[in-house]
Amino acid sequence: MDWFNRPDVAAVVEKAPLRVSELSAIIEGLFDNPLLQDILVRGEVTNYTHHARGHRYFSLSEKGGGNTAAVIKCVMWRSDAERLSFNPSEGMEIIVAGTVRAYAPHGSYQLQVREMRKSGLGEKFLLVEQWKSELLAQGCFSPDRKRMLPLYPARIGVVTSETGAVIHDIRTVVGRRYPLEIVISPTAVQGEEAHREIARAITRLAGMVDVVIVARGGGSFEDLFPFNHPDVVRAIVACPVPVVSAIGHEVDVTLSDLAADLRAATPSAAAELVVPDRMVLLARLKELKSQMSTALQGRVAWAREEVADMRDRLRPQRFSRKLEERKQTMADLSDRLERAFSNRLGRESLLLAEMKTALDSRNPVAVLARGYCVAEKNGAIVRSAYTIEKGDRLKIRFYDGSSQVIVERVDHERNL
Amino acid sequence: MAAARLSWSVWIMKETYETKIEQLRRIIEKIEDGNTGLDESMKMYEEGAVLVKQCEILLTEAELKITTLSRDA
Repeated sequence: MDWFNRPDVAAVVEKAPLRVSELSAIIEGLFDNPLLQDILVRGEVTNYTHHARGHRYFSLSEKGGGNTAAVIKCVMWRSDAERLSFNPSEGMEIIVAGTVRAYAPHGSYQLQVREMRKSGLGEKFLLVEQWKSELLAQGCFSPDRKRMLPLYPARIGVVTSETGAVIHDIRTVVGRRYPLEIVISPTAVQGEEAHREIARAITRLAGMVDVVIVARGGGSFEDLFPFNHPDVVRAIVACPVPVVSAIGHEVDVTLSDLAADLRAATPSAAAELVVPDRMVLLARLKELKSQMSTALQGRVAWAREEVADMRDRLRPQRFSRKLEERKQTMADLSDRLERAFSNRLGRESLLLAEMKTALDSRNPVAVLARGYCVAEKNGAIVRSAYTIEKGDRLKIRFYDGSSQVIVERVDHERNL
Repeated sequence: MAAARLSWSVWIMKETYETKIEQLRRIIEKIEDGNTGLDESMKMYEEGAVLVKQCEILLTEAELKITTLSRDA
């Protein structure tokens, strides 16, 4: 075979040779494959080294039949290793989570381990899942059975370890906000038998407190495992008063957290949820006090107004003024009546006098009184001397009487 | 015994503080309400002032107390 005449090989030869770093970069790029990112790998620990700087170096191997079937180098940096809840040892079966990276200085690749669990834990995870679905089916996590926390508890129960920071934190918060009686129901919070102890510690508080805090500081999945146990979950559900959970860090959610009436991020937060702040209560009380004062002042002012109004309405001066007014009106009326009456009377009497004068002037008797007399002949007044003659019988009327006369002689004026 | 102690503690806070606050609220409402006579309003104010004092005492005189139960009960 003529290697040098193969066209593609000729092309390779024409390219400039790669530098090692360039090749490394290409290989590094290949490790970006998603199949190598954030993967879980199970294997046995070999060549374990705890470096002085805190990094852990080891290999993960799979036992093959006869020969070792496969090995991969692993590293766990200090920042991740600090969170380890156990010390890995030679031959230990573990599950790691991490990403495969090329390491150019050594011309090798390695698994960078972020998290590590004992392989047996895989079963524990499964167990928790199984418990979860069972307890869910029993209604242990139902939102319907979540109870309201008492507004003003008198005693709170705390289920936790007697030692440790949890009880100290709760004491501090309660003492500052709203001092009351804390009943500690001590228990182991980790270990093979812890779940039984925790459940007993919860049950023991029944009837003694108004609210219960179940708390534990941060820890690994394995440390918090007892709080996933159905014994603990059922004890929380059966607790006659509301339960607040504060187990591990906020990211770790145990089944106890799901069953609790309320979940707090930390034990201090649980204490804050459970007791009111008396400074707030005192401030509210002060507000109520001033509200009550204002209400009474308002009521008094209103009453004062009411009284003033009534006094105005009842004042005697006002009453007598009214009486005076009436009297005046009456006097006026009677005046007017009198005036009208007397006017009329005057007018009438004047009229009467006039009429009397007129009448008097026409009264023959008055004329007669002045010394005149009237002669009548046969009932008719004699107005002329020519109407009578000698021998006529006349009636002479005086003002105070009359007489019968016989005419002796008649003289006519011209005869005089 | 435990039950008796609980009822006492319930009495302290539920029958005392909570009820007192509730009573205080009712008193304020009644005074604000125009239908309550002045005499009655003043009596209620006095009652309310006593309630405020009692609540203040309940809050300020509270003391932290720690009881630890035995683990083998």
